[in-house]
Amino acid sequence: MQAMKQFITTDEKLRQLVHALSKNAWNIISAGKEGTNFIYINDGKDLVINADSKPTKLSAKEFFFPKTEPLFFYKKNHDGVDLLDPKDVLRKTVLFGVKPCDAAAVPVMGKVFNWDYKDEFFNRRVEQTVIIGMACSYSDVYCFCTSTGLSPESSKGSDVFLKPAQNSSYIAEAVTPKGEAFVVEFSSFFDAANENDVKLLLNSPKGPEKKFDANQVKQWLDGHFEDPLWNEVGETCLGCAQCAFTCPTCHCFDIVDESCGYNCGRRVKNWDGCQFGLFTKHASGHNPRGHQPERYRQRISHKFKYYQDKFGEILCTGCGRCTRGCPVGIDIAEIAQEINKRNSVLV
Amino acid sequence: MENIYKPELVEILDVIDETPDIITFKLKFKDPEYHKEFNFLAGQFAEYSVFGEGECTFCIASSPTRPDFLECSFKAAGKVTNAMRRLQTGDTMGLRGPYGNYFPVEEMKGKSVVFIAGGIGLAPVRCVIWNVLDLRDQFKDVTIVYGARSVADLVYKRELEEWKQMPSVKTVVTVDPGGETPDWNGEIGFVPSIVEKVAPNAENTVAVICGPPIMIKYTMPVLEKLGFKEENVITTLENRMKCGVGKCGRCNVGNVYVCKDGPVFTYKQLKELPEEY
Ligand SMILES: Cc1cc2nc3c(=O)[nH]c(=O)nc-3n(C[C@H](O)[C@H](O)[C@H](O)COP(=O)(O)OP(=O)(O)OC[C@H]3O[C@@H](n4cnc5c(N)ncnc54)[C@H](O)[C@@H]3O)c2cc1C
Ligand code: SF4
Ligand code: SF4
Ligand code: FES
Repeated sequence: MQAMKQFITTDEKLRQLVHALSKNAWNIISAGKEGTNFIYINDGKDLVINADSKPTKLSAKEFFFPKTEPLFFYKKNHDGVDLLDPKDVLRKTVLFGVKPCDAAAVPVMGKVFNWDYKDEFFNRRVEQTVIIGMACSYSDVYCFCTSTGLSPESSKGSDVFLKPAQNSSYIAEAVTPKGEAFVVEFSSFFDAANENDVKLLLNSPKGPEKKFDANQVKQWLDGHFEDPLWNEVGETCLGCAQCAFTCPTCHCFDIVDESCGYNCGRRVKNWDGCQFGLFTKHASGHNPRGHQPERYRQRISHKFKYYQDKFGEILCTGCGRCTRGCPVGIDIAEIAQEINKRNSVLV
Repeated sequence: MENIYKPELVEILDVIDETPDIITFKLKFKDPEYHKEFNFLAGQFAEYSVFGEGECTFCIASSPTRPDFLECSFKAAGKVTNAMRRLQTGDTMGLRGPYGNYFPVEEMKGKSVVFIAGGIGLAPVRCVIWNVLDLRDQFKDVTIVYGARSVADLVYKRELEEWKQMPSVKTVVTVDPGGETPDWNGEIGFVPSIVEKVAPNAENTVAVICGPPIMIKYTMPVLEKLGFKEENVITTLENRMKCGVGKCGRCNVGNVYVCKDGPVFTYKQLKELPEEY
């Protein structure tokens, strides 16, 4: 057995835990019912713990990187301007029912938010949040976590990780020191697991059927910045950026001012997407990525090459949301498979 | 919490109209201590804010050898730059930076330098020009070739005169054919052909070039013919930026973040990157 600290809990106890957290003024967020979004809850009966459920429409990234985040407030006065930092105090937060493909995205995004300058807006949310991940027994034609180095049982990014066991119980692993501290603080809801408990674990989920070799995709991308493939796959893209907004790892943002009247307002960071035509347009009118195929190439290359070159991680966890929601049916995994095919033809 | 997106306040000390649509601001941090400790190198950029309008990116156009104030020159092109145009002496702006890498002024010491600029491209080059001229005896020959569409479009006119008067600098200013005035006494012709005519010696020389893509495209072969190696030709990129600190994902060229790994690149480095700038 691994040295990982293991506990046993039950569906009933987790619902009671929600009650205890709520009394202690925690922010409690749960995966929503089948096919919906994450929701704030206060009552144990609203907790959704379901390993079989389809991923939420939006990923969990908005709890670390909100759609709109105030950076500071400004107030103009007689002799200049006052700048005020956002004063919101973040409550301790717990996220229940996070799938491996969402949880893993947090440390992946953490790389870009910390490689040199530190984005404390992201960091402070991560620090305040306990991620309770859960093994996933759902899979559809869109997901492909096992091709990005993850699996339905991967605990990357989770603080506590739950695996379903018999009789509505769960084996809980404390993955990080933060997760361990959480289990200790709420120890009445977690019992130490013994060998017999661990035997109750359900069979490992078999995972998605869709597969490709991400290393080979990278190898191909290394040498095919110019390639007819980009026109083939990029031409139908509408540039709506649904793929970026629902993606747990896409992290591009815009910075804009929102004024309320002449004298005051705030500067905010908003989600943005590289599939928008104006994203890279210079003030002169020149646009380095002026056509959709060039923007689609950027999306694939950023995910499977650039981010790896720079930060050693694939910028994709295989959640399948980009494909599930694409209005014109562009399938990122099929593109990766096509690249694999072209690679093997070349070899 | 450290807030990397919050600017420092600066006051506009002076507003200089360079051309009908290019303006230079002279700026000073409102906090004198901050101003004293603010260090930057030639080629770095900053994010400038007008509160209520937003932020935009300009190079720092003044030289680090002249730390009393900072300067930026901008073209009214969009939302923020047009709002800046309405600001006056005494008004408050925001500034965060300096960001990005810089021209290798230290490595250029002991060598000759050729500056080639077109239009508002003189702004980042001017920063290095003053840096070099303020340490003039540490460099060999200094040549400046600057061009604009018309006489009215030349920026830093008073400084162009000053450079022309300096015996230790060869300054050639040109306007595009048709852009001259009756009393124009400079060159008439496009920058690439003027560079060919001036024919700076490539031996132990670094070329700093900045201007519209079309100017750079036609000047490069001229420099090659004169014997300049790609690693000795340096330019600065202007990919659209928002954060300036390697977060917002907007400025990349392949796996390079222009705001962090650039904006200054040698031609050799640029050739190794995908053409996305
Ligand atoms: C490193 C670096 C250094 C730079 N140095 C300088 C410098 O020294 N001087 C200088 O003048 N410039 C410089 N620039 C360019 C400068 O950053 C831009 O000109 C400036 O940011 C424009 O800001 P803006 O808010 O006025 O324009 P924006 O309002 O952001 O608009 C810019 C352009 O985007 C397009 N656009 C935006 N929104 C829309 C829309 N809704 N519909 C259609 N089109 C739209 C338009 O083409 C518009 O003209 C530099 C850029 C970089 C990256
Ligand atoms: S969701 Fe589909 S159509 Fe929309 S930007 Fe993404 S790939 Fe293009
Ligand atoms: S790129 Fe698509 S499959 Fe990969 S993490 Fe983003 S939304 Fe999920
Ligand atoms: S400007 Fe934001 S990443 Fe470079």
